[in-house]
Amino acid sequence: MKIRDVALIGILSATITAGKLVLSFVPNVEIVTLLFIVYTVVFGVRKSFLASVVFSTTEILIYGFSTWLLGYYLVWPLLIIVTGLMSKKMESEYVYATIGAIFGYAFGALFAIVESIFYGLAYGWVYWLRGIPFDLIHGTSNFIIILVLYKPMINILTKLKASYYQT
Amino acid sequence: MKKKSIVILSVLVVALLLFTGYKTFLSPKGAEGAKEVTIHIINENEDVDKTFTYNTDHEFLLELMEEKQEELGVTFEESEFGKMVVGMMNYTANPDKQEFFHIAVNGEDAMTGVEEIPLENDDVYKFELSNY
Repeated sequence: MKIRDVALIGILSATITAGKLVLSFVPNVEIVTLLFIVYTVVFGVRKSFLASVVFSTTEILIYGFSTWLLGYYLVWPLLIIVTGLMSKKMESEYVYATIGAIFGYAFGALFAIVESIFYGLAYGWVYWLRGIPFDLIHGTSNFIIILVLYKPMINILTKLKASYYQT
Repeated sequence: MKKKSIVILSVLVVALLLFTGYKTFLSPKGAEGAKEVTIHIINENEDVDKTFTYNTDHEFLLELMEEKQEELGVTFEESEFGKMVVGMMNYTANPDKQEFFHIAVNGEDAMTGVEEIPLENDDVYKFELSNY
C-alpha cells in the first residue's frame, strides 16, 4: 500500500464520518450508504473496505463501545462487497438506488441478528419489529438520495481521481 | 428527470402503504376503556419501595405516567427510540454508575419502552433501579 492510498482511505473515512454527523439530527436519513456505494464504484472494494473499518472504529471512539456498533463491522463490508460485484456489470443509478433501498430496509434485521447473539432471539425479534418504521424511512430515503446524487457524485469523483490520484 | 420524479413518488407511496400496514397489523395496541393497574417502584439505594394503584382509561403506560408525573416523580429523556424513563421518585439513574430503571410487566422483562407498553387490567408495572 502506497502513502497516497493511506491518505485516500483517511479522506474517504473522514468524509463518511462527517456525512453521518451532518445528518445525525434526522433519524435514519443518511448519506453513508451513498458514499460507500460511490467510493466502491470509483476506488474499488479494497480501499472502501479499509475506509469502512476506519469509519466503524471512529464510531466507537465517538459513541463508546456497544454491541450494535459491532454490526457496523459486518453490514458496511457487506454493502461494499455487493456493490463491488454489481459494479462490474451495472452502471445504472437505479441498480444502486435499489441496493441502497434493500440495504436500508434490511438494516434493522441485520442488526437484530447481531443483537440476538448477545441477548437472545426474543430480544432480536422485538428489536427488529420496533425498528420497522425506522427501516422504512432508511430504505426509502436511501433510494431517493442515491437515485438523485449517484451520477453527479460518480462524475465528480472520477474527474478528481484522474486529476489527483492516478498520476 | 420526469421519470425519476415518478419513480420517487411511487416509492414514497409504497413506503406510506407499508407504514400504514405496520401501524395496523404489527404495532402494539392499547386496550380501550377503564382498567386498574399498579405501578411498583423499587430503589434500594434510596430505600424506596412504593406501590401506586390507578384506575385509568389511558391505553399506554407513558400516557398514565405523564398524567401522574408529579406523584411518581418521573423524569423522561428523549431518545432516538422515543421517551425513556431515567428517573423515578425524584431519583435520576446515574449512567456513570451504570444505573438504569429496569421495567418489568407482571414480572416479565419489558421488551419495549413505556411509550409502547399497552395498559391491561390488573397488570403490574415494576420499575426497579438496576445496574447494567
